[in-house]
Amino acid sequence: MQAQIFLAAAELTVQPSPLFPDLPNAAFFTNSFVFTIIIAILILVLVRRATRKMELVPNGGQNFIEALVEVLYTTFENIVGRHMITKVFPLIATLFIFICCSNWVGLIPGVGTIGWGKPGPGPWGLSEIHNPLFRPANADLNMTLGMALLFMIWWLVWTLSDVGIIGFFKENFAPKGSTKGLLALLLMPLFIFVGCIEILSILLRPVSLSLRLFGNIYAGETLLHTMTGLGLALPFPLNWITAVLFPLPFYFLELLVGILQALVFSALCGVYIRLSTHQSEEGTAH
Amino acid sequence: MDAAGNVAETFGLYWPNLIAQVILFFIVYLVLRNFAFKPIIAMLEERRRRIEEGQLNAEKIKQQLAEAQAKYEDILAKANAEAQRLIEEVKASGERLAEEKRQTATTEAQDIIRRTHEALTLERERTLAELKKEVGRLVVETTEKVTNKILTPQDHQTINEETARQIAA
Repeated sequence: MQAQIFLAAAELTVQPSPLFPDLPNAAFFTNSFVFTIIIAILILVLVRRATRKMELVPNGGQNFIEALVEVLYTTFENIVGRHMITKVFPLIATLFIFICCSNWVGLIPGVGTIGWGKPGPGPWGLSEIHNPLFRPANADLNMTLGMALLFMIWWLVWTLSDVGIIGFFKENFAPKGSTKGLLALLLMPLFIFVGCIEILSILLRPVSLSLRLFGNIYAGETLLHTMTGLGLALPFPLNWITAVLFPLPFYFLELLVGILQALVFSALCGVYIRLSTHQSEEGTAH
Repeated sequence: MDAAGNVAETFGLYWPNLIAQVILFFIVYLVLRNFAFKPIIAMLEERRRRIEEGQLNAEKIKQQLAEAQAKYEDILAKANAEAQRLIEEVKASGERLAEEKRQTATTEAQDIIRRTHEALTLERERTLAELKKEVGRLVVETTEKVTNKILTPQDHQTINEETARQIAA
């Protein structure tokens, strides 16, 4: 029966739970916020340790971090282009590392299964968790939308500094290709309409970015919770064994989803930058 | 707006939560940018620069080696030519010296022969004069003894001249 300490059948809610609901002005201190703090500290400590005494011949942590940065730099350089990579790399790489780390750390048993809820068998056992202590950061829309909005602000700054306000509007509203004269005048309403759609799609980018990441991670967490609790009604030790075996294949899937979603989010950010700045880069190349 | 508010409420979207998460993410971004990406990219750049520099140096050293080799061969060829020239010079000088020595020796030998010849001639003439004188005296004495008469100085002169002529012949 001791095993049930770790087998609390939790149903992941869509919303993050505040850890101190009774405290005034502490609503922001949610379980996902705690998790984000842990991830931030983890990343900062690991990176600081790896880069504190940098040497020309790297070893251990420095080697790993350098390899990671080099791979990310090359990958994003191919997406964003050489023209913009030095400016945008820190943000895109941080997005990738942060999302990937929080997705993977969110898979560690205990995230979502330790917390407060309906008491169950055993001294620490819970039959249901209402308020988990940790919640994966990307299973909170506040986090994903926050990152997407932050990126879009930067995107706007980079785009306007690269092509200018006139260039930006020209790119979206001006006639495309070699359309000139009367034909261009006739097609103008169409181009303006297309431009409006383009602006709308730009405005919706943070929504699509954040919902995609949130949806995937939230669905993954829900899947793992469901699989863990699938055999909970079985007698001991079967409930224990099924709680380990049933979600196991999905853990591998979630490992893959974790890095894939990080890559999708950061690569899309790179593509958005490329789309809005590539004109000037092509101009430079010519 | 109500619909948006409802969606936000359903998903637990609240400005304080969102801002708190953004601030945390922003801190991570700042720290990573300043303490990870900048030094690592600088390090990668430095390493790339050093590798390029190393390759450039290796190329330069290779070139210098080739130049040094060419220079060495050139110097060797020049030294060989110089040595050959010196040998030729020494050989020519030796031959000239030998010739000079030979000439000197020949001259000296001829000189010695000439001087010896002269000395011999002088000795011979002196001996011949003495011989003539002695033979003349002996002929005069013999003639005086044979003829038992005292010969006059004119006879002496005549006999001496005749004897000298006979000896010279």
